[in-house]
Amino acid sequence: MNRDFFSRYIQTEKQKQFDRDFFKEAESYEVWDEIDFSNLEEVEGEQKFEIKAEDMKYFAEAVMDDNPLFTDEQYASKSPYGQLIPHPVFVTQIIFWCIGTRGRGNWIRTPGARNPGQYMELYEDFRVGEVIHIKMKPYDRYIKRGKYYLRYQIDLYNQDEVKKAMAIGTLILPKNRDDIRKFLRGFKGLEA
Amino acid sequence: MSRMSFASVSIGDQLPPVSRSVTQETFWKFSVASLDYNPVHNDPEWVKTAQPFGIQEPVGHGMMTIAFMMSVVSNWAYPAILKIRKSDSKLIFPVLAGWTVTCSGVISEKHVICPGKNYVVIDLEAKNQDGRLLGVCKSEVVFPD
Repeated sequence: MNRDFFSRYIQTEKQKQFDRDFFKEAESYEVWDEIDFSNLEEVEGEQKFEIKAEDMKYFAEAVMDDNPLFTDEQYASKSPYGQLIPHPVFVTQIIFWCIGTRGRGNWIRTPGARNPGQYMELYEDFRVGEVIHIKMKPYDRYIKRGKYYLRYQIDLYNQDEVKKAMAIGTLILPKNRDDIRKFLRGFKGLEA
Repeated sequence: MSRMSFASVSIGDQLPPVSRSVTQETFWKFSVASLDYNPVHNDPEWVKTAQPFGIQEPVGHGMMTIAFMMSVVSNWAYPAILKIRKSDSKLIFPVLAGWTVTCSGVISEKHVICPGKNYVVIDLEAKNQDGRLLGVCKSEVVFPD
């Protein structure tokens, strides 16, 4: 995908660095019918996420949430929280960053993937300055009403190995690599 | 900000709703914010033929709908220093540009454990301006008192 819809919205350092082209490395994406469920070893994400205030603030603005605890550092510093806290769905940004492009879990970038809903647990607020890394492993894979579901468990830790959150990431995916290639050519690659 | 006691809330209590009017720009901005650049949300030309949802135009991110629902909870919980512990969502229909998404929440369960561990379950819904159900979510909120 060469069309650039995003330049005018890019502001933060991570947004500038992140590879926005979900087509480019698609041949390296994990595929529904190729995931090895005999190996449930936990693996690390491709990169770590150092939380900056701009990351939290931008996410809140993008979901049109003007809660000053998410966006106003001065207000948040005087609150019982002591500093900015993130919107509860901020984990999305962390997960996409940490999974990266070519590493395990990169199926979340598959063009044509559909989101059926998500599960997450929050243990401690994410804080500016923390460096988050993820550990993930296959959780489930199933077929339901002609759709192919893949689930990974993703655990998020800070630099001191404190577990901050957990997500069961789920997407409806194209079944195999040929179906993904259909989407790369702009055609539907899903059976249902 | 002031704390809210577990005793002060009741099953059936409605949380203040949240409404968001979305456009294609909203989807582009959420792509940038979430780092989810799936073309189904962004590229009208690609979506016209690829149609992952059977719809010929881009749709909003599922995580955007979930975020809208969770704003209902955080608006209520965070000023009262309550702790959002869990969210379990199901997405039913994708959001189209030009829609207004309204999210509502109601306390459906009170779990009486012990001080510091008591929690409520909030049932959330997201609907469009025509009342079409877009998503549901259950969220657990812990009371520290």
